[in-house]
Amino acid sequence: MSQATTSERDGVARILPDMSYRRIGVYFVVLFFTAFFLSPIWTGLVTSLKSSGAATTPFLPPTPSNFTLENWGRAFDMLSRGFINSFAMAIPSTLLDVLLGSMAAYGLTLVDWRRQMPVVLLFVFGIFLPYQAILVPLSDFWTNVMPLTKGLIIEGVTIVPPSERWGTLAELTLTHVAYGIPICFLLFRSYYKGISQELVEAAKVDGASITKIYTRIVLPLSKPMIGVVLIYQFTQIWNEFLFSLTLIGSSSDKAATITLILSGLGADLSGVNFPLRMAGAFLAALPTLFIYVLFAEEFAEGQAT
Amino acid sequence: MANVTLDEVTKIFEDESGEIVAVDDVNIDIRDGEFLVLVGPSGCGKSTTLRMVAGLEKPTSGTISVDGESITHRSPQERNVAMVFQSYALYPHMTVRGNMSFGLEEATELSEEEIHTRVEDAATMLGIDNLLDRKPDELSGGQQQRVALGRAIVREPDAFLLDEPLANLDAKLRSEMRTELQHLQEDLDTTTIYVTHDQTEAMTMSDRIAVLNDGQLQQIGTPLECYHRPNNQFVAGFIGEPSMNFLPVTLENGRLVGEHFEYPLSEETRANLEGRTDLVLGIRPEDVEIMDTPSGEHEFPGVVDVVEPMGNENTVHVAFEGQDRADAELTATISGMRNVAEAASIGVGIPENAIHIFDGETGESLHNRDLGDVEGDRPLQGAEAA
Repeated sequence: MSQATTSERDGVARILPDMSYRRIGVYFVVLFFTAFFLSPIWTGLVTSLKSSGAATTPFLPPTPSNFTLENWGRAFDMLSRGFINSFAMAIPSTLLDVLLGSMAAYGLTLVDWRRQMPVVLLFVFGIFLPYQAILVPLSDFWTNVMPLTKGLIIEGVTIVPPSERWGTLAELTLTHVAYGIPICFLLFRSYYKGISQELVEAAKVDGASITKIYTRIVLPLSKPMIGVVLIYQFTQIWNEFLFSLTLIGSSSDKAATITLILSGLGADLSGVNFPLRMAGAFLAALPTLFIYVLFAEEFAEGQAT
Repeated sequence: MANVTLDEVTKIFEDESGEIVAVDDVNIDIRDGEFLVLVGPSGCGKSTTLRMVAGLEKPTSGTISVDGESITHRSPQERNVAMVFQSYALYPHMTVRGNMSFGLEEATELSEEEIHTRVEDAATMLGIDNLLDRKPDELSGGQQQRVALGRAIVREPDAFLLDEPLANLDAKLRSEMRTELQHLQEDLDTTTIYVTHDQTEAMTMSDRIAVLNDGQLQQIGTPLECYHRPNNQFVAGFIGEPSMNFLPVTLENGRLVGEHFEYPLSEETRANLEGRTDLVLGIRPEDVEIMDTPSGEHEFPGVVDVVEPMGNENTVHVAFEGQDRADAELTATISGMRNVAEAASIGVGIPENAIHIFDGETGESLHNRDLGDVEGDRPLQGAEAA
């Protein structure tokens, strides 16, 4: 056999270097897909660094003559209100989702009581409820049934002050919380099913109440999953557009979230300002990237389990 | 410290395929400070029984009481018991100290200093005081096991409940821990219920053994009572290693007739049989005698099948003459210094004072061995000669 292979190399192969062509093929495919996936980011980045008239050759980097950081500055100015609004809405709703989702999952996975299954199914059903189906009743609810823009005062304690901007954001926050709980519940539930039942039993025999078992045993053990859910849920809520559009309506509104402002950024009657739009898009994506970096360790651990 | 009573306790699990009776009408009275071992094959209901005492399962019927006070309907949190799990169930995110003080923080009103002292004391007693700041995953199996014990000890509970605590240790460590656990229990003098499937643990550690099978209590008694005076064939077969030999026989004209032998019975022994004829003859391996040639009426010709040398003793499997060697029925243990060749023709003796006779249908014990030949001037504790 080895004889045959050497003699084959006597032909054309002899003048080619001795290397694995299969490996070259693999490298080529990898390189192609890397370029394919990076191209939109690359294009966006170089475009955002050019002055508005020069954005005609999307793939080429800016030349010294048309390089500018002005777009980033302008985009930041225009988005700053959106940043504040989005943070004000996304941070509390993410935290509430994580907390409520894990509590619900604990109660329905590690605590024993009869007829749990219908409740679990209700949660699962919540995941498959399409956004579009509830838009009309949703806006109707926040306008007529519980208008938080008029403020929310319970027993003399001001929960939400009467304000168009913060009231609307509070409505949006609660909507996201409600819509996020089912998926958070499911993620935590699958994780809690892997927690040894004996740990919970040991805590019971040790005298810990249901609440204490949650706060002292289950919650500390949920760290990896909390990382996963935080990243996932924050990204979802930060990038969400449909609820913002329904409840807030216009990018000029005081309560406009970042996605809402971004949709109108750099577009007017004179045409589309691509460099400005690109700079805005990058700015808007930064917080989600930041969250990934912040919880990367928990995320990796949570993925592995 | 307290005595624990199980009164007609029954547990029925329900699932799609119907009802499963896990524990069936069990009555056990555990005395204050006693070390009781619940032993039986897997699925016999011993763990379920223990979990009911802990409050992790609710009995379907019956009552469990501590010092005469019923705790049947109390939650685990309201019972002053401590449990050691087979998996140890240490809280992985807490240090050893955290694990040991958790129960005290949750179940008692003790001040921080008192908790600290108790944890330190228990850790010193178990020799894990240098590990207090480590996490469970930095400990070896034996150390984790000690922490689990320590977590139970600091509570100073009414009763310790141990669910196969030594099952995950290697053989050498297991026998060490067995002795240590016994010492510990003697020192603390706390009522202990210990679940195991290992009859050696049951025999060596317990004050009394409760043998369970199919959810039913077969016998409760001292280790030697269970060994020498078994209530039935199940207990006789379960306690003792290697197990007792069982030979199915019928009573014909005062003789036990087996497939390959006929065994004459004395008048006294026959009187115990209550006229039943379908019987099982039982004899412990160490009571079977091996000789060169059979001579007496209780000695039979046989062929050696396999010899398993253990060092201190040899386990010999013997087939009766006329029996295929592969079907060898009889196991005998003889001194390790005695040499028996495989396939050798020998004689086996079954002395009448050492035989047990069981009812062939119910397994009920009709005749147990004579203890008149016990060495020394004191009869065996708990197994007095009948």
